[in-house]
Amino acid sequence: MRALARRADHQGVTQQTGRRRLAAAGLALVVTLAALLAGTGCVASRQEPGQATAAVADALAEAGSAGETARIAVGLLDEGRVTGPVADTVLLDQLRVLDDAESALTTLVPPDAASSARRTTGLDAVGDVSDAVVAARAWVAARSGGDLASHDVPASSDVLLAELATALDATDAALAEAGGP
Amino acid sequence: MTERLVDARLHLLGRQVLDTDGEPVRTVDDLELAGPGGGEVRAGQEAHVAAVLVGPVLATRLFGGRVPDSMLPRIAWEDVGHVGTAVELTVGSDRLDADWVEHWVRERLIGRIPGGRHDPEGDG
Amino acid sequence: MKKLLGVALGILTAIGGFVDIGDLVTNAVVGSRFGMSLAWVVVLGVVGIVLFASMSGRVAAVSGRATFEIIRERLGPRAAGANLLASFAINLLTLTAEVGGIALALHLASSVEPRLWIPVAALAVWLVLWRVKFQVMENVAGLLGLLLVGFAIALFQLGPDWGELLRQAVPPSPPGTEHPASYWYYAVALFGAAMTPYEVFFFSSGAVEERWTAKDLGTNRLNVLLGFPLGGLLSLAIAACAAVVLLPAGIEVSSLSQIVLPVAQAGGVLLLAVVILGIVAATFGAALETALSSGYTLAQYLGWSWGKFRRPARAARFHLTMIVALLVAVGILMTSVDPVAVTEMSVVFSAVALPLTYVPILVVANDPAYMGRHVNGRVANALGMVYLVIVVVAAVAAIPLMIATGAGS
Repeated sequence: MRALARRADHQGVTQQTGRRRLAAAGLALVVTLAALLAGTGCVASRQEPGQATAAVADALAEAGSAGETARIAVGLLDEGRVTGPVADTVLLDQLRVLDDAESALTTLVPPDAASSARRTTGLDAVGDVSDAVVAARAWVAARSGGDLASHDVPASSDVLLAELATALDATDAALAEAGGP
Repeated sequence: MTERLVDARLHLLGRQVLDTDGEPVRTVDDLELAGPGGGEVRAGQEAHVAAVLVGPVLATRLFGGRVPDSMLPRIAWEDVGHVGTAVELTVGSDRLDADWVEHWVRERLIGRIPGGRHDPEGDG
Repeated sequence: MKKLLGVALGILTAIGGFVDIGDLVTNAVVGSRFGMSLAWVVVLGVVGIVLFASMSGRVAAVSGRATFEIIRERLGPRAAGANLLASFAINLLTLTAEVGGIALALHLASSVEPRLWIPVAALAVWLVLWRVKFQVMENVAGLLGLLLVGFAIALFQLGPDWGELLRQAVPPSPPGTEHPASYWYYAVALFGAAMTPYEVFFFSSGAVEERWTAKDLGTNRLNVLLGFPLGGLLSLAIAACAAVVLLPAGIEVSSLSQIVLPVAQAGGVLLLAVVILGIVAATFGAALETALSSGYTLAQYLGWSWGKFRRPARAARFHLTMIVALLVAVGILMTSVDPVAVTEMSVVFSAVALPLTYVPILVVANDPAYMGRHVNGRVANALGMVYLVIVVVAAVAAIPLMIATGAGS
């Protein structure tokens, strides 16, 4: 088979694709910058009083969410509606959240006395919730047949839930102070 | 045999190359032209297609530049059977030097993993 | 009778295959923070994916060519190459999220930590890709994914205030505690989760794998028109469960374990087990699809031999691509990055990448040279143009919203 072929002229196509390449490169640059900014936006410590208080409120909201999750998980395990491993996973995940909330507060640089005080109250509240969730995890482990020193484990789910409730009340109070939802 | 006028850029460049069993080989990246009698191509003179060039052009396609023709594996035009939406060859891909990357990956990597030559449609 | 069974199977697998880790996580997060006020986005996304998938399936069935071959031929090598890089990268991100999702779900089912499950999950995915027939793979994953209907069962058992749920959805009324920018950010994320690009690569290449012709168009349309909306209902059920149980408690979803709590509350250990199995199946199926998509896109752009219907030795580079993609996914996950965070990123970037696949499909579906008399009708084109605008708006808005809200925090 014979075919007559013209050697292709790429000029017009090259100009068009050249412009497109430039646009693509520009877009890539914008996207990279944006992603970097978004990332740093999450961990930057706020400097102004309003921003510092907002950061405290955010951390407290996270802690509250973690505490409520723990409360539900403990309740469900008590009713036998969830398995030990699942409850343990829930609590472990929430401990990570509480860790993040705590480091958000500890890395904060409060610009004035008021936000500093709120930060301290916040840290206390988050600490209370963390302690309660750690106790919850111990209780779950003991209930699933683990062998733990009895003084580490809460006596019953009621005691545990009461501890969680107290910690959550403290969080709510601190949140209200920080002007949160 | 009816002759057809084919626009190289529209119908040849970038088109899929299939072997005689319909298995894809590569895409047409360039065409090697030869002058009358297989000599040099000269502007204003008739030329014919000597070979289809296929090759590793991902980088040059994206960033520009050209791979020299000597580096691009060629499929002789005599092996081309039909030009439709794809360029169909009259030989199997196993006989093509141009498909050497696929052969290499097959022999050295995939073929060595157990089950690599098993036909998935055979026994399900 | 056999035909009827075949059709039913197709629809069921479409439902079960609809939800992946992106839908699971995004719907639960949205439900826990915004209630049902973003339900309209799910509806929008479902209509979009129905349109998108039926167009790409039709294109593949009629022209015999899969998506990326067409993108390469229509856009030319450079534009298609840039398209390839972006699509491949986002595909890889989604694959990472799915494999991470499998590991998280297996962690829920056992006490073994996710990091140990990751290589196991990836190996299992590869073994299926290596040996299992395409149809069998599709059907098993799709049918097991149907177990996610457990979320719908849970919703009914929770006995929610349906009026309240409806009031949150229509008209969309987000809680006052959330910033409008966050609302729109999650709207884009939810849209990206519903209209995942890999679905289209997979769908059209799958059509070629299964050797569809114009005769299969009717079945294709039926699968898509019935299967995907029902799958969308499952997404809404996931969001509603979170809205009913987690939203009132002020819980923000950030882990897979929280997502299943409403199911445990509603149906106890049994329903929980069913749903966890469903999650494993759905994420596993999605991991298969995304891995295959990475192979399809690269092989189709470069003109390599591809397809699961071929012996791996006859599609060597295709299989090599999938192996490398899985290895990269495992590598990323072993750095202990949070799979949920990866998922949230993947859905947003899916929204950004959507126009790259959508535009070529829309163009080709109208091209008589490829489609013959099966070109888009007026309705399809009208819808297609509307969605073109929506898709471009979402893609453009995604990154600025991500910055403005600090990725939704």
